Formats: sequence, C-alpha cells, structure tokens
Amino acid sequence: MQIEMLLPQERVIALEELRSLLAGTTAAEPFDGSVVDASIDLSQRIFHDPEARSHPELLALAYWMRKAEMIRMTAQFRALQLDHRVLTPRGLVFHLPPRNVDTIFVYSWLLAALTGNRSVIRLSPQRSESTSILLRLLRETLAAAAEPARSGTTIVSYGHEKEPTEMLSALCDARVIWGGDQTVEIIRRSPLPPHAKEITFPDRYSLSAIRADTYAGLPEEKRDYLADQFFNDSFWFDQLACSSPRLVVWCGTGSETCAASADFFRRVAGCVERRRYVLPAAASMEKLVYACSAILNSPVKECRRYKGLTILTLDSLAGFQRSHPGGGLFFEAHLGSLAELTAFLGRRDQTLTWFGFTPEELHALVRKLNGRAIDRIVPIGQALQFHRFWDGYDLLQEFCRCVYIESTFLDVRPTQTGAPGRS
Amino acid sequence: MTLDDLIQQPQYSVPQAEKEAVLLAELTRLGQRHRERSPEYARLVRILFPGSADPHNLAEIPYLPVALFKDHLLSSIPESEVFKILQSSGTTGQTPSRVVLDRETAQLQTLALSRIMTSVLGPNRLPMILVETADLIRDRRQFNARAAGLLGMLNFGRNHFYALDTNLELLLPQLKDFLHRFGGGPFLVFGFTFLVWTRFCQPLVDAGLDLSNGILIHSGGWKKLQEQAVSASYFRAALREAMGLTRVYNFYGMVEQVGSVFLEGDDGYLYPPNFADVIVRDPYTFEEVPPGQTGVLEVLSALPRSYPGHCLLTEDLGVVHAVDPSACGRFGKAFSVLGRIPKAELRGCSDVIAAKVS
Repeated sequence: MQIEMLLPQERVIALEELRSLLAGTTAAEPFDGSVVDASIDLSQRIFHDPEARSHPELLALAYWMRKAEMIRMTAQFRALQLDHRVLTPRGLVFHLPPRNVDTIFVYSWLLAALTGNRSVIRLSPQRSESTSILLRLLRETLAAAAEPARSGTTIVSYGHEKEPTEMLSALCDARVIWGGDQTVEIIRRSPLPPHAKEITFPDRYSLSAIRADTYAGLPEEKRDYLADQFFNDSFWFDQLACSSPRLVVWCGTGSETCAASADFFRRVAGCVERRRYVLPAAASMEKLVYACSAILNSPVKECRRYKGLTILTLDSLAGFQRSHPGGGLFFEAHLGSLAELTAFLGRRDQTLTWFGFTPEELHALVRKLNGRAIDRIVPIGQALQFHRFWDGYDLLQEFCRCVYIESTFLDVRPTQTGAPGRS
Repeated sequence: MTLDDLIQQPQYSVPQAEKEAVLLAELTRLGQRHRERSPEYARLVRILFPGSADPHNLAEIPYLPVALFKDHLLSSIPESEVFKILQSSGTTGQTPSRVVLDRETAQLQTLALSRIMTSVLGPNRLPMILVETADLIRDRRQFNARAAGLLGMLNFGRNHFYALDTNLELLLPQLKDFLHRFGGGPFLVFGFTFLVWTRFCQPLVDAGLDLSNGILIHSGGWKKLQEQAVSASYFRAALREAMGLTRVYNFYGMVEQVGSVFLEGDDGYLYPPNFADVIVRDPYTFEEVPPGQTGVLEVLSALPRSYPGHCLLTEDLGVVHAVDPSACGRFGKAFSVLGRIPKAELRGCSDVIAAKVS
C-alpha cells in the first residue's frame, strides 16, 4: 500500500519504505539546541508570513513558541531533571491530530520534538488553509534546521485506511490520539507494542464561571475587555474547540447575576458584530433548531438571541446535557457560589475559564472535586492557550521515560556467618 | 374575507396587501389555537418569541424551523382525533419528519391542492400520464414521500398511464397508444423533475411525438439537475423542442405543509396560493430581507390546524423577485427556490469524519 508523504518530502511512499525510513533515525537529547532553534525559527516564519498573519490562531501558536517561551520551557524542563531521575525521550511518537483544529498538530509535534522524540504525524487528506500554511512553513523550517532537528519529523496523510495506522502503531513508542471519543475508540483497535504509551484526548466540555459582584465593580473598559477575551475563547474555532466555553455560570445573588449576564452578553454580542464573525448559514440554522430542541428537552426558561449569538438560560443544571451545536450558543445558569457548581461537574468537563474569584475559591473547588472533573482552570481569555499541562497531563513528562538512578554506592559490610538472610 | 373565501376565490387573484391583512388575522388566530392546544408550541413561542402574541405583520408571527418536526411530534389535537401521521424522509434522508393530521386538516389540504391545480388544469379530470413506475404505489413497503406525492396528484387525472417500467425505462409503444387516444385534447403529465428529465424528456428528444396538448406538472427539486447543468429555462426549452410541450409548471411543497404548494406561473416564478405566503429571511438575524435579496425561505399557510406548522422556516434558500407583478396575471409574491442551504462544516476538536468511517 502507498500513502502520501508530506514531510520531509512531498511524494507518495510505500508503507514498507516508510517503515524503514522511520526505523533509520534516532532520538535527540531533550532540548537539543537544534530543536529549540527550529521552534524559534518556525515562530518567526509564522510572524513574518503574510498569509499566516491573517489567521489569529497561527499567531497564537507563533507566540507560544517564541524565543522567550522556549527559554522558559527549557528551564522548566531542567527543573524536572533531578539527581536520581533522568527524563529521556520515549523514541518515536505517532500523532493523530484532529482535522478541524489546525494548530494542534504543531503543538503536539513540538512538545514531542523538544523532549527529544522523533515524530510521525498523520494528517487528514482534507486540509484547511491554515494547515497548509503551517505545513509549508514547517517544511521550510526543517529544511533549514541543523541535525538532529532536521530529520526527526515525518508527516504523512491518508484517509481512514486501517493498514497505515496499524503499521505506525506497531512501530511507535507513544501514540497521541486527538479528535474525540469515537476517534480514540477506532484508533485503539490498532494495537501498540507492549511497552508503548498512549495519550488520548477524548471529547471534552468546557465552561466559564463569573462572580457577579466582582463583575459589577468593573469599569466600562474592563468589561469590554473581558467580553473581548471571552469572544476569542469562544469564537476562534466556532466554539467547537474542546476548551471553548459553552456554559456560563454566574455566581452571586439573583439580581446581581441577572444584571451581570445582561450587561456581559450585550458586550459579547457587540464583539460578534464588530469582529464580523460570520457563521455559515446552515450552521446558523442548525443553531436555531438546536435551541428549539433544547427548549423542549431541558429546563430552559429564557432565550436571548443576538446576531450570531444565542443565550439559553437554564433553571437548573441538574441532568445538564453536554451536547452542543457550536457557532455561538451558550447555556447559562445562576448559582449562589462557585462551590455549588461541584455537584454538576463530571469527567467530561475540561477547562473552567473564570473571572472574579479568589485563588482560595478556585483551589477549594479543585480540592472539592478531587479529580472527578476539570483539568484546567484559567482566566477568561486563555481558554485556547495551549500549555504543557493539558487534559490532566503534563506533556513534557508524558513524552519522556523516567529513568531512576541511585548513584551512591553503598559500603560493603562483612557478611555475618550463620543462616543467610531472606530477601 | 375569511380563510374559506381565500380558498374558494380564484387562486392568485388577491393583491398582496389585501391577502396579508386576511392572513395576519387568520394566522394570529391559528397561532393562538396552537398555543392553547400544544404545550410544546406554547413553550417554544413563549421562550423564543417573547411578546409575539399580537403580531403587526406576517414577519412578526413566530416561526419554527422545519427540522424540528424530525425530532419532535408536535401536535395540537388529542390522540383520539388523529386521522393519520404523515411521514417523510425529506431530501436529507436520516430521521423522517412526522406531521399529525386530523380529518379537518386533511380535508383542507385536499381541497386546497385541488383549488391550486384546477387553476391550471381546469375543472375536469384529464387523461393522465405518470412519469413513474406503477410499482411505486403497488409496493407498500417502499411507500415514501415520492409515492405520497403521486397519490395526491392521481385525483386530478383519469385513464392513468404509468409511463415507466420497473427499471424506470420509458414504455414508448404504450405512450404512443396513449397519445393516439388522448393526445388530441388536453391531458396531464405528472412526474418528479429528475425523472421527467432523464426518463421522459431525454428518451423522447428524437421521437417526434406531439405533446402540445399536454400540461406538465412536476416537482422534487432541481438539485440533481443542477449537477447536470440543467436550468429551469433549459428544461422548459428542451421540452418545447422535443415534443411541443409548452405548459410546464413546477411546484414547490413539503410534507410539513401538504396542500399548500407553490405553483409556477407562466413567467417561470413560483407563486403562493391565496391562503399561503413566503417570507425570505436573513440566515443570521432572521429579519425579513427585501425583494431581490437571497435568504432562507419561510413558508406560511393557513391550513395546518392539527399541528403548529403554519409558519415554518425551511432549509431552502430563496428570493422574492416581485410583489404583485402584472406580467402573468397573478397577484402575490413571485419567487424562486435556489436549493438547499449549502452544508456547513465547523471546526472543532472532534474529528467527525474519522468517527463516521468505522
């Protein structure tokens, strides 16, 4: 069988040839200078590319891998290395990024590459404009990079054929599956070598919580800023990124939360208008159909419709269904305090973006949840900021094996005569 | 004027302003009735359209997306009054729409369809060619929307002749017999647009038959024909050249508003009958857009009494060309249907395609 290879060269490649190609290379040392330099170079290329510049999500990626951040991450990794513990690359990482969040494959690749791993990435044959831009820039970057960064990355593209997935799974030391529950389930049918590790990113749901009294105390321009940040979190990927909020929880007394919600969503609607967010007509219709169904199926008590923005107010979060059409539809609920939220959260809930709470309130929430829900708590505006800590993983560590070293040799004591000790 | 008047008067004879006034009163009353009898409808309207109990114009009347009938059985009658439940797969396939009818609504639908069709067919039943296979309604297991549409039309004809065999091939000798017998006077041809084109018009291009006394009524959408780059005007021209068929009427309708069909005028535009109307809305704001501007079609009909389907937002794009044009002698809105809203794919973390193929 033959598949398309996109990197290092663009050509058709037989699976057998791909197998030997992948077997031929070796891992780099974690945070090897050539890899760090390549990251910074790619960041620069994105910043300076006229095509890339019109995609905010690409600029966010470039910002995330800029020089200052690479220096910081290098230091963070050094801090993970202890006297008796050395983090080493796993070897070959097989990435299956989602088709629809274009930048994920670079984040996934970069963390694996920085930690010294070689990568083989499967991309869908249907690629968006920003994916194509990224591919082009990555190709240029690696062609200009020094070894070992230059040859550690292979990108292939194929449809839903099982054969290449089977081969790459059998070959890799770690497999990263993005793309939701069903993708995880399908890919898991292809076995890994016994030693290999799997990192999965299943379907997730994310929400925001805002403390109404703190919001009420904000001056106009800060409210606008918050609405703008919330817009970015929600609308960059049509509200379908797993960390984009879909539910907004208002905490405070009834009158406070209602006033805050009315004020806030009016400003968000203003952003939608100002930024000229356009949803395909079919998606807009689907949103209306979804809203109707939700009104019939859930305890919705109010619906506010703005251009491109629909808000459904829930009477209660009990039994809350986490289905979602995307494209600018929010559920909202009003609670007395953040602590009341714990009863309604579950395993699927990933990112809580917040405004107005004290560190104590946020920490208390996590302790009370005790691992049942929520992997990420970040301020509103950072929902989409990718981080080494994601979905409950520390990816810098996940991509490494942890070698234990006891380097102090114990003194030899004279053996006592008599019955040998049991060990 | 009452609903009865609108149905009984010659169709397309009421100027738009006058019709809107009658429809506004009628549809407001109908909406009130559905609010009282369907708790689901009452809830939807209360939440989605607060303060809409007293609309000032047709665009202010609450509407429901037609797709809602796929997931919810919306009814304004007690179970004991259910006469039948219409079911359609729609063109998108998947979940069928379900529409609850009582006797009154079913009768209204039949009467209304007849008023529309007789406006171009005349009062008498005509000899009828069906561009269909007789198997379609013989096999009840495959009874689908196409068959239901066919059954509705049978009433307008006599001496029914099914022009296609089981394999949808044209029965040419039998067609010649039919024309020999009935071709000298008016006769009716009915079929679905795509079948008429591929199985009737094309095989007859060089057959030299004379169908100039025929009246063709066809429906089913242009999507497949557009893929073959066949436009409405090309379709008409081809029928004229191949067999002299000049009276050709397309109609637009849906199972969620049976009886309330939009029939083409001689100018090639669709027109609402007296008791129905269309509104074109912006797909984002859902505000009405002015004539000439494309948007999502809403269809309004005074017929649905047993279910709250009197104002429905379709999944089709359309455009109103003119209001009360005098060109073809019809009053009301002259409009076209431009096909389905193109399918959209949003971004997001879930790799839906990978999920579908398993």
